Amino acid sequence: MPPLTRRQTLAAAAALPAVSLLPAAPAGAQAAFSPPPGARPLFGAETWRLPNGLTVVHVEQRRSPVVSQFLFVPAGGAEDPPGKSGTAHFLEHMMFKGSPRVASGEFSRRVAREGGRDNAFTSRDVTAYHQTVAAQHLPMIAMMEADRFASPLIPAAEVESERNVILEERRQMVDSNPRARFREAFDAAVFGPQHWKGRSLIGWEEEIRAITREDLVAFHERHYGTEGAVLVVAGAVSRAELDAVLAETYAPIPRRAVPARSRGPLPEALRTDRFIRHDPALREASFSRVWVSPSLTWGETRHAIPLSVAAQVLGGGQGSRLHRALVESGLAVSAGASAWTDTVGAGLFAVSVAPRPRVALREVERVANDTVARLVQEGLGEEETARAIRHLTAGALLSLDSIGAAPRLIGSALAIGLPIERVEFWPAMVRAVTAAEATAALRATLGANPLSATGWHLPEGTEAPA
Amino acid sequence: MSGFRLPIRQVVNGPFTAWLAEERSVPVVSLSWAWKGGTGLDPEGGEGTASLLAGLLTEGAGDLDATTFSDALRDSAIQLSFSADRDGFSGSFRCLTEALPEAVRLAALAMSAPRFDADAVERVRARAAAAQRRSLETPRGLAGRAFWQALFPGHPSAREAGGTPDSLAAITVEGIRAARAAQLRRGGLTIAAAGDISPDQLAPLLRDLFGALPEGEPPALPPLPPPQRFGVRVISFAGPQSHMLFGQAGLPVRDPDWEAAQVMLRVLGGGGFSSRLMEEVRVRRGLTYGIGAGLSVLMGQGLITGSVATENARAGETLAVLRAEWARMAESGPTEGEAADALAYFAGSLPLQLSDTRSIAGTLLSMQQNGRPMDWLDRREERLRAITRERLAAVARRLLDAEGLSAVVVGQPVGL
Repeated sequence: MPPLTRRQTLAAAAALPAVSLLPAAPAGAQAAFSPPPGARPLFGAETWRLPNGLTVVHVEQRRSPVVSQFLFVPAGGAEDPPGKSGTAHFLEHMMFKGSPRVASGEFSRRVAREGGRDNAFTSRDVTAYHQTVAAQHLPMIAMMEADRFASPLIPAAEVESERNVILEERRQMVDSNPRARFREAFDAAVFGPQHWKGRSLIGWEEEIRAITREDLVAFHERHYGTEGAVLVVAGAVSRAELDAVLAETYAPIPRRAVPARSRGPLPEALRTDRFIRHDPALREASFSRVWVSPSLTWGETRHAIPLSVAAQVLGGGQGSRLHRALVESGLAVSAGASAWTDTVGAGLFAVSVAPRPRVALREVERVANDTVARLVQEGLGEEETARAIRHLTAGALLSLDSIGAAPRLIGSALAIGLPIERVEFWPAMVRAVTAAEATAALRATLGANPLSATGWHLPEGTEAPA
Repeated sequence: MSGFRLPIRQVVNGPFTAWLAEERSVPVVSLSWAWKGGTGLDPEGGEGTASLLAGLLTEGAGDLDATTFSDALRDSAIQLSFSADRDGFSGSFRCLTEALPEAVRLAALAMSAPRFDADAVERVRARAAAAQRRSLETPRGLAGRAFWQALFPGHPSAREAGGTPDSLAAITVEGIRAARAAQLRRGGLTIAAAGDISPDQLAPLLRDLFGALPEGEPPALPPLPPPQRFGVRVISFAGPQSHMLFGQAGLPVRDPDWEAAQVMLRVLGGGGFSSRLMEEVRVRRGLTYGIGAGLSVLMGQGLITGSVATENARAGETLAVLRAEWARMAESGPTEGEAADALAYFAGSLPLQLSDTRSIAGTLLSMQQNGRPMDWLDRREERLRAITRERLAAVARRLLDAEGLSAVVVGQPVGL
């Protein structure tokens, strides 16, 4: 089948068990980011600010005569106003509906006419717009992006038809997919349907229906300021050429501040620590367990990178502890662990298991929990830690083989307040993690943490494990 | 166009021939290779054999059990995988230049000495069965299965490519070994490479990789019949939307009108927002999040296929708009402006398609599979310049059949 539509990346973001949680005050994350001695930057990016406050990143890559432009706005679904979930994503759609110098729909048409690609995505933390074109067309895409960033038309006449498109998007990506339905319902059950962490990223249907043009304009006013946005340009363009383009496009945009991220506190207790849902469309059960965790911007930030090593030891594919205990033993088809630490506010540590048919689900849950408890208690061994670090870092340079990797990684980090060193030196930072540090991070997160919940998603007629 | 060129060399070593696009600025190499066959060679009742074979080749080989083999790949960040399609079986790896000798060693071992250990077979079988059952959880998965069955009844292409829970349960290790013996041969191989490697470096690797395979080619598949016109087939499914897969006969990959058909179909239903279908169905009427149509290739035959999902209540309206657009294009073709935009897109998009080693190797592989000459890309701009609006209108008239456009609809559609 031909791939369909644009903006499917929203689906990818929505599919994460939890793209992000939130915030207390960002702690001193910066100290952790001094580049390790002797380490070389991955992309060799240059970064600076325009006089209007816009952050610019330049990655010169001469490999093919192509250039990518990514503009990150530091606001995503978690910034949606109360009762208006889906606002950030709705605005993303309306940004394609014209600006003073570009008619509605014309942005994508012009990019396509030059053989280019364009798209956009919304996550909990950011909204991003991006294009890839032959290098000589950079002035065109910079003009168009700067124009709509500063002054989108958001035409009233097109809001209703676009609302229908978004409702169809919701039906297609969430309502027609039992696993997506479950993830959305699980977050809402655990954190609350109006909590920034429990809300639907694409928006609850009735709230999508309630969003007005004024809401969209207000969201743009509030969050699309030069002082918060991050522009990344990568590809076959020199600094001098880029400076000339910026002078004509982004530099004239008036300076505007954006509010500090403020998402409200985490609940002291989760609304439920056990969520079970039966679904007639489901054919295969699945188990998940999540723990609210430190991130690179929240809580004990020093634990964040060691947590990714711990997740790899626990559930990083073949040979990991969960794989041995559940997959090799014949209880499960797959079993894994992940740590979401590059986010605004609290992170999330997650374990997920797809049991084999006809196994005792209670046994699956017991083995999963025992495996976690044993690792917490024993701590990580030197050998498995070294192996995990090798597997995480061996392929770091492969990201040089893709035009979009540098802007995606760098923009995502800067737009949530992390320094560029987080991306440029990530392999060295992971290599520096010791078994003792990963153990401490794991104990702090999976030890006596009351902010943890279990989910079971079951085919109709399957008895729920007690 | 920017004068972009992709220099391609032919590298020959004995019976093996590869196409290579050398590019040394980034320390990464990609290799891709393929045979005809794939799931089309699965025995009746043994559907899923080729898919299991593809999964099992990286689950232990030679002295290395599954975990040791996986560790060897991951220690060096070697991305090695095999896959079985309806009409072919392929392998590929991407790795850093420094890991190339290890990548070649492991890929060769996987093909020449896979272990098929009993526990690995059971794990991969369970994973495949779970994937099959999961694919039936969504209307899109259900539609895909029914669509191929309806298009090619009685042909291997109609069968369940990944197997069914029953057929997967019945497959034996002997059956998997037989599939490997039939599929992985020295003959009938197509090979492509891209990235940080010279022709002199590549040549000996070809023998290292494939030299241990048996002589001869995989067996041929039965010829593909023309696709059936099956009208509209509805599969009832509880959910808010109707998901449709639609299609009709296309043209052979080697047809002189192939590129004109691609350009015409881009105007009708290709790429992002600029197509007529996106404009009429999404932008103007808000009927869907996305709709697209284009050519998919099976055994050298292009099929025109597409998909859309819409609210159940508006399924009839969506299909009516789709047929009307199909007929409008068949009658009068694209406008001058649409033709110019689509031609400009194809002329300008080449450097974007070829910006990483994996997509370059993939492109070189399909060029060979489609019987293209080595200067095919170099002359593309010249060929595109010769395509007029009238030629696009003629190819639309020749191909598009609004009445014969057939669809599988999964959901609770109203108005069909």
